[in-house]
Amino acid sequence: MTRLVPTAEMTLGPFFPREFAQGLHDLAPAAAGAIEITGCVTELDGKPLDNLVLEIWQADGAGRFDSRDFPGWGRAATDAQGNYRFRTIRPGACPGRAPHINFLILYSGLMRQLQTVMFFDHSDDPVLHAVEDRRRKLLVGKQISPTSYRFDIRLRGGDETPFFDD
Amino acid sequence: MAVVIEPRDPLTQAQGVEAGYAQTGRRWPAQALVRRPHSAAELSGPRGLAHRLPPVKGDLAGYGAKRALGQLLRLRIRVLDEDGAPLPGTVVEVWHCNSAGKYIHPNDTHDAPVDPNFYGAARLLTGDTGLIELRTIKPGAYPVPDSNGWFRPPHVHFSVWGRVWLSRLVTQMFFPGEPLNDTDAILNAIRDPQARGRCIARLVPSTTNELVYEYQLVVRGRNASPGMP
Repeated sequence: MTRLVPTAEMTLGPFFPREFAQGLHDLAPAAAGAIEITGCVTELDGKPLDNLVLEIWQADGAGRFDSRDFPGWGRAATDAQGNYRFRTIRPGACPGRAPHINFLILYSGLMRQLQTVMFFDHSDDPVLHAVEDRRRKLLVGKQISPTSYRFDIRLRGGDETPFFDD
Repeated sequence: MAVVIEPRDPLTQAQGVEAGYAQTGRRWPAQALVRRPHSAAELSGPRGLAHRLPPVKGDLAGYGAKRALGQLLRLRIRVLDEDGAPLPGTVVEVWHCNSAGKYIHPNDTHDAPVDPNFYGAARLLTGDTGLIELRTIKPGAYPVPDSNGWFRPPHVHFSVWGRVWLSRLVTQMFFPGEPLNDTDAILNAIRDPQARGRCIARLVPSTTNELVYEYQLVVRGRNASPGMP
């Protein structure tokens, strides 16, 4: 039986076309009750990163990943201050999982994609529990208003965000 | 179709920090990556992405009198999964620099000329056999800023979606016979010589005025075949 080896991943590089990352950060243009997720992405020594690409994948409000009405996927790029912004809905819980948003990060200097997850609280979740106890708080978004959350991502250094390998 | 994703092989995938690529030491996590169990959240993926990411600009070599400078190429790229099954209707993003080594991106400060007839970005949809064809020109080599003499060999960037969230592939394709391939810190981060070789396109015979290169993009994931009775 055919078995092909996956192509080697390589860095996105610094020049990902700007228009590829525009107009895709809003997953809920018509939805009442949308939430905003913002954050800053930094490298070693807290230096912010410009034009870094983030993609998200999440369930709809009922915890479904095959919704016809909600895209579940979005993309944003950081500005020169390292800030990104998504507008979406709060996902529901799918079987065996707490509500969460999957994040994929692509950038120059990252030889391959990085994956992390934002949770909404310290929930009982097998992916959150795969991370050692003292680092779990770094995966919980900070609620800053009834409709907005902050999720900063530190690629390397103090309070480094936990990342997953798959 | 249920999809299985197996761990990355450290011989065929880069491992993070590379001595020849200084930024990797500032950006790749210092803590070990965490293994996690997979559920529907990771083993599902966006559907109908072509609606959110509509195809744009399928010919980078230009039109009519507005032809880009450089050697004319035709790239034939097939997108497959690990079972060798083609992925029809999947989105492929392509970008590369012009024949002088300059990107269209405003952040590119390289002192090389812009080609007004070259726009180095396209988004395509694979056909029934997982194939995309793109007419373009051969990208140039360029120096990496503050790198002490590292020149990137000619390469083409690809971003592609597989069947599930964990199948996402972002990579670069190289050209055969380029001396800079031997010293490139990105290509040579792939330890296995055969895997590295698969990152280099194959020149095939052409009967037109375009050099034709064939290439395969293999996204992660294989069919979780139901057990035979």
